[in-house]
Amino acid sequence: MNNWRRIDIDAYDEDVVHETDLYDPDPRDPATVANDAKQKATQVRSLISRGDIPAALAAVLTDAPYGSQFEDAKNVSLSAVLLILNSTKSTDIPGIVKGLSQDEQDTLMKYLYKGMASQGTEVNGSVLLGWHEKLTEVAGTGCIVRVMTDRRTV
Amino acid sequence: MSNSLRPYLAAVRSTLTAAMTLENFSSQVVERHNKPEVEARATPEALLNPLVISRNENERVLIEPSINSIRLSIKIKQADEIERILCHKFTRFMMMRAENFIILRRKPVSGYDISFLITNFHSETMLKHKLVDFIIQFMEEVDKEISEMKLSLNARARIVAESYLTTFD
Repeated sequence: MNNWRRIDIDAYDEDVVHETDLYDPDPRDPATVANDAKQKATQVRSLISRGDIPAALAAVLTDAPYGSQFEDAKNVSLSAVLLILNSTKSTDIPGIVKGLSQDEQDTLMKYLYKGMASQGTEVNGSVLLGWHEKLTEVAGTGCIVRVMTDRRTV
Repeated sequence: MSNSLRPYLAAVRSTLTAAMTLENFSSQVVERHNKPEVEARATPEALLNPLVISRNENERVLIEPSINSIRLSIKIKQADEIERILCHKFTRFMMMRAENFIILRRKPVSGYDISFLITNFHSETMLKHKLVDFIIQFMEEVDKEISEMKLSLNARARIVAESYLTTFD
């Protein structure tokens, strides 16, 4: 024990706060959530091919998986959202965003930031930035504050 | 201003404005200390979700909000070797004089080129919207500055090479 000065004694305190104490975990089972996400992704694809973007967005933004135990489901949902965002005409965005409820707007904003953070090949930065601008115009900075403070990260 | 730069800066502006809600918050670990929580990372409940805004894979802004401080890190566009050197020199010059820029951090967060640390004391003594304007203006200027320096460097190198090689004619 020659590095005893570096031991974080606060971690052994009895009222220490852990990351997991900060939000209520999703009670659902990871396997069913992953299945739901996959079903939603196929549903979204058929809705997009019929051109019904608002319904596709509403489907994927309700009961979005959150928390650390649903990594697969979260990735499936993110790619479904990105598919919707990429296949929307930029002139339609304001109307669609106005039609969402406040919770859906917050969840969409979470996905926009997640999409920008996981900058890969399928993600087009300018599309996400365009959506971000329109969503901020409609929902205001309060929407961004809710994304920052909500521990239930998508 | 180019077409894709405007929404990028608008997104940074709105996110930074949203994050600029700071209050005085003493350390929960050490009595009578007051540390920027985003740097100390001692109390997880005082930290908020970090947000990334990216234009493409080479240009990104990371905003890490917390109860009494914001850390904002910028990755500046570096297309080639010359721009990389110029960017390094430019950010180094500024960071060595960080005390004159008040909100500048002496070292960038890893993966980024330059970082700013705004605490509640800064947002109390300075106007919040002016701080946001300063960051946005910095982001506009730095790209312009580096491409200008690159042009003048190339022009100078051409003149030097020409005058040097005339002696071998």
